[in-house]
Amino acid sequence: MKVLVPVKRVIDYNVKVRVKADGTGVDLANVKMSMNPFDEIAVEEAIRLKEAGKADEVVVVSIGVKDAQKELRTALAMGADRAILIVAAEDATDDIEPLAVAKLLKAVIDEEQPGLVIAGKQAIDNDMNATGQMLAALLGWPQATFASEVVVNGDSANVTREVDGGLQTIKVKLPAIVTADLRLNEPRYASLPNIMKAKKKPLDEKTAADYGVDTSPRHSIVNTAVPAERSAGIIVSDVEELVSKLKDAGAL
Amino acid sequence: MPHDGQDMFNQAATPVLPNLLSLTAESIVAVDALLAEAKENLRKKLSKDGRIDAALLEEHQYAAHALSWFATYQLALTQLHHWAEKLVADNGFTEIEQLILQIGFGEYLCQIAGGIPMSQGETARLQDIGISPSALSAPAVERLMAQGNSSAARTQLVELMQANHGHATFGATALDEDLEMIRDQFRRFADERVAPNAHEWHLKDELIPMAIIEEMAELGVFGLTIPEEYGGFGLSKASMCVVSEELSRGYIGVGSLGTRSEIAAELILCGGTEEQKQSWLPRIASGETLPTAVFTEPNTGSDLGSLRTRAIREGETYSITGNKTWITHAARTNVMTLLARTDPDNGDHKGLSMFLAEKEPATETEDFPSAGMTGGEIEVLGYRGMKEYELAFDGFKVDAENLLGGEEGKGFKQLMQTFESARIQTAARAIGVAQNALEVGMQYAIDRKQFGKSLINFPRVGGKLAMMAVEIMIARQLSYHAAAEKDNDRRCDLEAGMAKLLGARVAWAAADNALQIHGGNGFALEYQISRILCDARILNIFEGAAEIQAQVIARRLLG
Repeated sequence: MKVLVPVKRVIDYNVKVRVKADGTGVDLANVKMSMNPFDEIAVEEAIRLKEAGKADEVVVVSIGVKDAQKELRTALAMGADRAILIVAAEDATDDIEPLAVAKLLKAVIDEEQPGLVIAGKQAIDNDMNATGQMLAALLGWPQATFASEVVVNGDSANVTREVDGGLQTIKVKLPAIVTADLRLNEPRYASLPNIMKAKKKPLDEKTAADYGVDTSPRHSIVNTAVPAERSAGIIVSDVEELVSKLKDAGAL
Repeated sequence: MPHDGQDMFNQAATPVLPNLLSLTAESIVAVDALLAEAKENLRKKLSKDGRIDAALLEEHQYAAHALSWFATYQLALTQLHHWAEKLVADNGFTEIEQLILQIGFGEYLCQIAGGIPMSQGETARLQDIGISPSALSAPAVERLMAQGNSSAARTQLVELMQANHGHATFGATALDEDLEMIRDQFRRFADERVAPNAHEWHLKDELIPMAIIEEMAELGVFGLTIPEEYGGFGLSKASMCVVSEELSRGYIGVGSLGTRSEIAAELILCGGTEEQKQSWLPRIASGETLPTAVFTEPNTGSDLGSLRTRAIREGETYSITGNKTWITHAARTNVMTLLARTDPDNGDHKGLSMFLAEKEPATETEDFPSAGMTGGEIEVLGYRGMKEYELAFDGFKVDAENLLGGEEGKGFKQLMQTFESARIQTAARAIGVAQNALEVGMQYAIDRKQFGKSLINFPRVGGKLAMMAVEIMIARQLSYHAAAEKDNDRRCDLEAGMAKLLGARVAWAAADNALQIHGGNGFALEYQISRILCDARILNIFEGAAEIQAQVIARRLLG
């Protein structure tokens, strides 16, 4: 079975995001970019399936700027077998919306015919949480989102989902779309020998036009703003004072 | 069009000097001329019958070592300028790098003119090397000295440093993408697996857990530069620098575990027979065999040629008798690279041989279970995690086939061949420790508020941090240069020695200043900066003390 994993280049999770003064978006100048952490979990799960003999090839796909090569190389260094880069944006600030990404992924999947797609549940940049679901709809495949455990048994998979108030285990027929939640696994570090091997693994470069998909945005960003700063609190000496302050504030 | 890596750099407000790169290029020409003149002066002063005279060199040791420091600054500035040129070519020379270049040149040129600190109490001055204090008078030099390291430049650099989240370094390194991928992976490993535990290992004076060593082995740390045909990964010295930096940034003990394997492997690669290479290198590369270096004796440190431990051949074995000290990680390791005297009639380094002496690693009850060897721990200030030991050998047996290279009397020469790599690696460890000190000091300066604002907003605090970032980049570029020379099979003992000499001073200054920023809290064992200070102190001592390093550099410069 072939496993396909979409990988997105996003602002590194350590970066404290700055909003541009004119509110048009987030400042990406000289900002560290990395693989979306949920996608890293998805790559790890795919590699584990291969190591367990349940999958025989792991293909990673990224859609975005040319620099996303770096994230694909990281996925290859972790243990993926080959990579496809679809250059669909000239600039990191050009957002490609989930539907366009899902259409491109569908086109890749039509060619590659994977038995399973594992995606991150969402990207940490714009938190859409939509691509996996849209892709399942476009393909007419079952979907198992927010996975914290994936067990592949022949032509189906048991997927444990993290839902409000607990865990739900569902069985989906393969091929299917699984989206990875935080607790699915802990991604490995790429070892030095695997980093060297990754240099020799194939990385195909395509464009959105190769697949006939229009990636122009359907939304326009009206404004981007930082969350309001919390104002300083006060320390109360006892419950009576707390109650009176709450009353003053109209909260009681 | 904006793109990743481009700066939002405001031409009007920047304290960056116009035509900065031509100023730095012109300054290098002036410093080169000054150094050439100083070398000539000292050569005349220290020569007898056309050769450097040992007695004169000793008499004028201060001048000779001053020359070493001037030459170190000259190479450091040259490499910093090259770094800037590389970044310009890659469109990556943004304001943070511009400020690092400018402040670095401003400060180091002022020090060249006014005095370079060789240690806290010793300053190398132009008059020590026979140069008039007014010698450095080119217009570019004067401009950089007057305006390079300005208060405005430091303030702006600290601003940019605070907006640098997520980047591994302050300022781009100009290394290629593969090396930066290696850095990312090892940085994450150090952040997640090492840094959260390092302070506890230090305070409890514990050995680094075997689980960490096993993870490092899986990541390929121990076979980094060992050629692929011997089970290693055949990577460059530059990649060794990056790995050592990032691991040492987590904890110097972890960054130094790799050194031990690196040096043992280098000894075997340079001096071993083919059988020895086949037998030992794959085991060292996989981390299955942990080596320890057994050279120093109670009365023999830098003067290795006079060491006294004896190795006497008895048929197919050698019998080792004598005392060794400052043996790092002695108990838990499986093989000693042991230097001993095989020829008692030859009292200098020509009578020494190197052995690959197998031993039993520590058991739960015994540190040194092997027959003919005992040992005791030396308690230390810092650089813990592997522990230091003194060892006594009394008829300890080594198979004759484990004489390195199969030939007696080659030990000292074999060891010398490893010095380049060891010094490059030690420079990288120093940079990692310095980077850690900078990050810890900076976080404290942001979090700690006094007089209504963060400490970092006080110029004396922010300025310290800016200077750390500048000096770390200078030391980093010098060590990458030495590594590149080594990777290109060029002799680089001089460059490696300079990188180690400067790196150790930079690390100590960074740790000391970062502790100062912590105030009283820095003096509390509870705060990790107290450990970083203790760890930084070893860097000026091991792998060639600063004074020995300056001596070796001076001999090479004058010879």
